[in-house]
Order: sequence, then C-alpha cells, then structure tokens
Amino acid sequence: MKFFMNTLKHLSWLLACCFILVSSSPAESIDSFTGEKGTLRISGGTAHIPVMKIAAQKIMDTHPDIQITIAGGGSGAGIKQVGEGLVQIGNSGRKASDAEIQKYELSLYKWAIDGVGTVVHPDNPVQALTSQQLQDIFAGKINNWKQLGGSDRAINVYTRDESSGTRSVFWKKALAKGDISPKAQFASSNGAMKTAVAKNPYAIGYMSVGYIDQSVAPVSLDGVRPDLETVKSGKYKVSRGLYSNTKGPATGLAEKFINYLLSPEGQNIVVQKGFVPVR
Amino acid sequence: MKNHSAVDIFLSFYAWCCAFILTSAVLTILGYLLFHGLSSLNLDLIFAHTPVMDALFLKKQVFGGLLPAITGTLALIFLSMLFALPVGIATGIFLSEFARSGTRKILGLMFDIMASLPSIVVGLFGFAVTIFLHQHFFKQLYPCLLISALCLAFLVIPYIIRSTQIALESLPPQVRLTGPALGATRTQNLWYVLIPMAAKEIIGGIILAIGRSAEDTAVIMLTGAVATAGVPNSIFSGYEALPFFIYYTAAEYANTSELMKAYGAALILLFICGGLYLFAYWIKRKVR
Amino acid sequence: MLGNDRIPKICLQTAAWGCASLTFGVLVFMAWLSIPVLRASDTVHILTLPWLPGQGQFGIGPMILGSLYISVLSLIMAAPVSFGAAIFIRITRPGTLGKFFQHLVEAMTAIPTVVYGFIGIFLIVPLIRETFVQGSGMCILSAAIMLSLVISPTMILIFSQSISSVPRQYTIAVEAMGATPAQKFLMIILPCAWKGILTGLILGFGRAVGDTLIALMISGNTIDFPRHILDSARTLTAHIALVTAADFDSMEFKTLFVCALTLYLLTCVGVFFARAAGKRQ
Repeated sequence: MKFFMNTLKHLSWLLACCFILVSSSPAESIDSFTGEKGTLRISGGTAHIPVMKIAAQKIMDTHPDIQITIAGGGSGAGIKQVGEGLVQIGNSGRKASDAEIQKYELSLYKWAIDGVGTVVHPDNPVQALTSQQLQDIFAGKINNWKQLGGSDRAINVYTRDESSGTRSVFWKKALAKGDISPKAQFASSNGAMKTAVAKNPYAIGYMSVGYIDQSVAPVSLDGVRPDLETVKSGKYKVSRGLYSNTKGPATGLAEKFINYLLSPEGQNIVVQKGFVPVR
Repeated sequence: MKNHSAVDIFLSFYAWCCAFILTSAVLTILGYLLFHGLSSLNLDLIFAHTPVMDALFLKKQVFGGLLPAITGTLALIFLSMLFALPVGIATGIFLSEFARSGTRKILGLMFDIMASLPSIVVGLFGFAVTIFLHQHFFKQLYPCLLISALCLAFLVIPYIIRSTQIALESLPPQVRLTGPALGATRTQNLWYVLIPMAAKEIIGGIILAIGRSAEDTAVIMLTGAVATAGVPNSIFSGYEALPFFIYYTAAEYANTSELMKAYGAALILLFICGGLYLFAYWIKRKVR
Repeated sequence: MLGNDRIPKICLQTAAWGCASLTFGVLVFMAWLSIPVLRASDTVHILTLPWLPGQGQFGIGPMILGSLYISVLSLIMAAPVSFGAAIFIRITRPGTLGKFFQHLVEAMTAIPTVVYGFIGIFLIVPLIRETFVQGSGMCILSAAIMLSLVISPTMILIFSQSISSVPRQYTIAVEAMGATPAQKFLMIILPCAWKGILTGLILGFGRAVGDTLIALMISGNTIDFPRHILDSARTLTAHIALVTAADFDSMEFKTLFVCALTLYLLTCVGVFFARAAGKRQ
C-alpha cells in the first residue's frame, strides 16, 4: 500500500511541478522548500495554531512531498515534546525557563508578540475592571456579576490547565500570582476558551489577543483595552512573545519553516491573524 | 377479555412512557443533527476548494475540507482490522473448539475485562508505551497512525472473539459431527465445514467491531490524532480523524462555517456507523 | 497442512493467550507505574488532597467523586426508562411495534459517543443553563442526561433478554391461571429475571464510568470536589484526556497511572459482579 501511495505521490509531484510552472510564481521564501521532503511535526502552544496552519497550508500546497502535522497541547507540552525529540518544533506562548533551556539545549525563535486579554460575552455590560477586581474574580471572592454592575448571575470563571503558556503569563502579569478558584471550569486551548466564553453570557476568561474577535468582548484592565495597538505600544502590560523552540539550533525543515515565519510573507500571516510582528 | 386491574394499566402506561421518552430523545438528536447538518453536506465540505480529481489522486492537499479526516478514519479502520481480525478470530476459534473448560473460564474472564476496559485506559497505555519505547529504544517512534491502530485493535478484539466464539458454538451438532465421521481431521473440519458455516455470523460481528473502531475518540486523541496533517501518507506520522475533528471543532470552532463543518462531519460519521450497522443487520438477517 | 492438528492449534492458542496476557499486562504496567507515585505521596493524600499541581498537590479524589457522581446520576435516570422500555418490548407490545422499537434501540448502539457529546453542547447545555438560572450549564446534570442515552441501549437489550429467558412453562402456566400481564410480570418474570437485570445495571454503570467524551465535552472539567448536580465536575477519564497533553516527566502525568489503575480495578469489580450475577441465574 505504501508503495502504491509513493508511486502516486511521485506522479502527483510531477504534475504539481507542471502546475506551479504554468500557473503561479510563489513568493521567494516558499521556494526554499523546493526539493525538500518528509514530515515536520509541530506541537505545543495553541495561540500559535492559526499562524502555523496557514503557513503549513501554503507550504504543503506548493510542495506536496512535505507533510506538516500540527497538534496543540499547550506550551508546557510543546517544550517537553521538543526536548524529548517527539516533535521538531515545540511552540510556547511563554519564554522557556532557564532550567528548561539548559536541560533540553533549546533554541528559541520568537516570531510574534501577543497579549493575553481578559474576555467576557459581548452582551455583558461589565467590560472594564481594575486589577484588584480581576484578581478577586479569579480567586472567587467576587462571584456575582451584580457586584460589578451586571445582571444578578453567578460569574462563570474559565481557566486553562497548568501546561498553558497563556495561563502562566496571565497568572504572573494580570493576577499577580494570585489564586485561581478551584471552581473555575477548564478550556483546553485558546480556541476552546473563545468558544466557551462566546457561548456563555455569564463567563469570564482570558486568552491570546490574536484570538479576540467580535464573538467575545475584551475587558479593559485598569483602563487599557487589550488589542493589537496597546500590545504593540506596550501600554497593555500583559504581553508575551510567541516562540517556536527547537532542540539545538534548528536544522532542515524546521529551520526553513522558522525562516519562513520570519520572512516578510510569514510576518504577513502573523499580522493577518491578529498578532504583532517582530520584523 | 381479561379484567385489567389498575396495576395493569399503570404498567402499560409506564412502559409506553419509557418507550416514548427514548424514541423522542433519539429522534430529537437525529433531527437536530439532520436539521443543522444537511445543508452543509456537499462536495465543498469534503474537498473545500480543491478540484475533486486533484484531491483524490493526491495531486493537491485539501485544506479546510474533511478529506484528510475521512481518509484518516478509513486508514485507521483498515489498519486496526488488519491487526485485530487474525488475532480475534483465531482466539474465538480456540475458545470454542480447542480450549478445555478451565482454560475457557480464565480466558473468558480476561476477555470480559478486556471488553469493558475504558478506551481512555487503552489509549494511555498505548501512549505511555510509545513514549517509553521512544526514550529507550526507537528514537524514530512517535505517537502515530500505527500506534492508534494497534490500540484500536486491542479495543475491538474482544468483540471479534465473542462473535466468532458464539457463531461457532451455535452450530448444530450434526454439522459438527459429519466431518469427523467422514475421516476429516479437526483442522480440516474446522476449515472446510465449521468456519464457512459460521462465516456470515462472524462477519456480522466484525462489521460491528469496525463501527466501534470508526467512532472511538478517546484512544486516538492520546495516540496520534492531530489538528492538521493532510491526507495520511505514512503509518508513522500523525493523522486527522473524523471523531477527533468533531471533538476538536466542537470545542474551538472560530466561526459558523467551521461549526457547520463539524455538523457535516458528525453526519458523515453517523452515516458511516449507521451504514455499517445496517450492513451487519442485513448479513445477520440472511443467516436466518 | 490441514491434515495436521497440532500446528494450527498452537497458533490459535498463542493468539488467545497473547490477548489475555496483554490485558493482564496493561494492569501490571499501570500498577508498576503507580507504585512510585503511591509511595512518594502516600495513598491517603492521593485521595484527599485537591488537584493543585502548581502547589505540588496531586489529589485525584475530586475526579473519582466526579466519575461516581456522573455515573450514578446517569444510571438513576437511565435505569427506570430502560426497565420500562424492556417491558414495552417484551410484555406491553410484544408484537410488531415492540420488535420495531427493539431495532431502534439496537440501532442506538451504533450512534458514536462523540455525536452525543456534540449535540449535548448545543442542545442540553444552554437548556440547563437557562432552566436552572445557575452556573454555565456545563455540569453533572447535563453530562448525566447525555450519558444516560449512551448507556440505556445496553441496559434495555440485557433487560429484555433476561425477561425473555424466563422459562415458557412458567409464563404459560400463570397465563392459564388467568393472570393479567401485570400479575404475570410481577409474580413470575421479575423474580426469575432480577439477576439478569442486575447484570444489566452493572454493565450500564461500567459503560458510564468508562466513557470519556461526554464528560470531557459537557461537564466543565472543574477540579473542585463536586457537591451539587449543577456543579461542574471532572471525571477520571476526562482527567486522563486533559492531563496527557501536559509533559510526561512531571508528577501530574505520573498520577494519571493511578487514575488508570483505579478505572481498571473498577472495571474488574464490575466484571466480577456481572459474572457472579449471571452465573446464578
């Protein structure tokens, strides 16, 4: 069966070459993948996924011999898995700790800047909070929207698991390392967080600023609204880099993929998906 | 006519209520799914904007369509059956034809446990063993299609064992005795008489096992299903699959069109499983 | 080759014992990986502490309780309905309508669990949220409702089988004495079939405990000890699915084997009981 697939793939590769020659002239940086084949495995941070998906799609579209698989799992899993050699690129939404960098000889590549914003349902009248209020909400001390001028309904706090880089950045910079109530419900990724908050009028959660769209409402923190502009200018403090990590310096497909992310075309995708480019 | 007491009326009222509740629950679920999903069932759902022939002949990768997930699920079914069928059928034959009663009891107990193990436990087992092997023996081994297929095989083997065993044991004694009476060895009798006679029943069980491996999500989410992979081209890499796609999209759809894709995927998976069930039912009907 | 009996027998035997030892192997594997964890933080702590990996506390008590809570509630909802449905098939309408209904129930077993979970998110969760005006709707009750639909076909089929396996002589004799269907059911069928009904309950409960997707998708996955049916909860199975994504050298990951071992042992207990109930019938 494998032989059959391979034969097919060679045939299709030839045809695809003709197709590319005739129809389009892809941007320069994508050309660097020409002649490459094999699998690139990526996992980890979920904030990265939209950019990764588009990049992978563009590469695989023009280079059918390359397969790129993308999985989530969170930043912790990304760092761990790349360290153990389970994936070639492990994404993290926080900077890997010095201990992690040393233990796994990680090379860090930062290709975007992102904020972590608090979000509520768009119908929720409460769309500005002070740091103190935010900490009290997540600690469970404030547990009804009425206490903040909203409707008389319990606050449904959503959080992420320990492996999440988004959580660790939010916990450090927005919650001042305060408690997160055990009553909080769990979302397993940035996407899941957005869906959960968008569906529940009484929810509050936090997620990558790049993910915020009209289905959820960003909450101003101490008067600063989390969005692309405030993150870029540094006014919104709860921000972080989006990293792709490799074990040792990136080589082969991983190197080309990261270079692509840092190329003008890659940075274009970064902007398009709502993050702040680094170049 | 019998004199129906209050108890009788109550009992039949209760039974009617229960039947009604269950039927309406199932119809609500199916109706809801059809109502929302039918409109999304079209070629675009599967192939997105890729030309159909290009996609089918692997000339172009499909993005945003369900083709990778569907092929992933089909590959999973094919591979897991490749492992499960020989082992499951062999074990079923052994249990019904060769095992002594003591052995049969011990093995029966083990297979009962095997059949009722939560699939997530099997998935965790597969994942942990893979990591262990990766760390100590095979640097090139990762959670992948092969591992998932092996775990799924483990999950469905008990079903195949049971249907094989029951099919063979329910053959009438005349059939069983004719072969040996004519001088056939046990194996010849088994191969030329018993298995062909029981084949349809066994196939019915196998098809139900296929349905089980098509729908299981817990195992594959631990052993190699990923968010994006394209049409699988190697058994040693990650893959997409329908049930995982449904689970994943339900949690994090970004917009209505993505959600509609999940409805479409749920309908397709339902059609696959329902179709397999009807096929098994049809085969079983033909036996009788 | 077919003239020889020994070689095929050895092949078949190997397959059978291979499967059996693999099943046992899973148990040994889970136990082997659980022992260091159980030793490092003694067993009582694993059961009583909350789950706060950030603070070095890895209690799985909330998840065990969550599993039991959701499974018991779904059993409470599913058992009476399944029982009535089995009566419908065998006693109230044993003819065409009962047959048809039985086919419907059998077909229900073919509906993928993930589809139930998917529908649950969009149908049940908002309904529960707005009906009870409390919480997010992602709660024990929502999960138990969907789960009861998953486990009821298994129970109905076993119930109806055990009702039909009551010896014909008994039922005919009672009918001849002029008993109504209800009398026949209460006096003869129920006493004869209750062990089969017990088996059905155990297997239904087993399926509920073992299911991952429903709880993972619609019970909210909170790590707190659940108290109320409108609270969110996390089951053992969902816990495994959620934490596996975390890194696998950590204590968090290692405690998963304790969860898996717990599930394995629960399964064994269920199988033993079901077999014991089945045997004495």
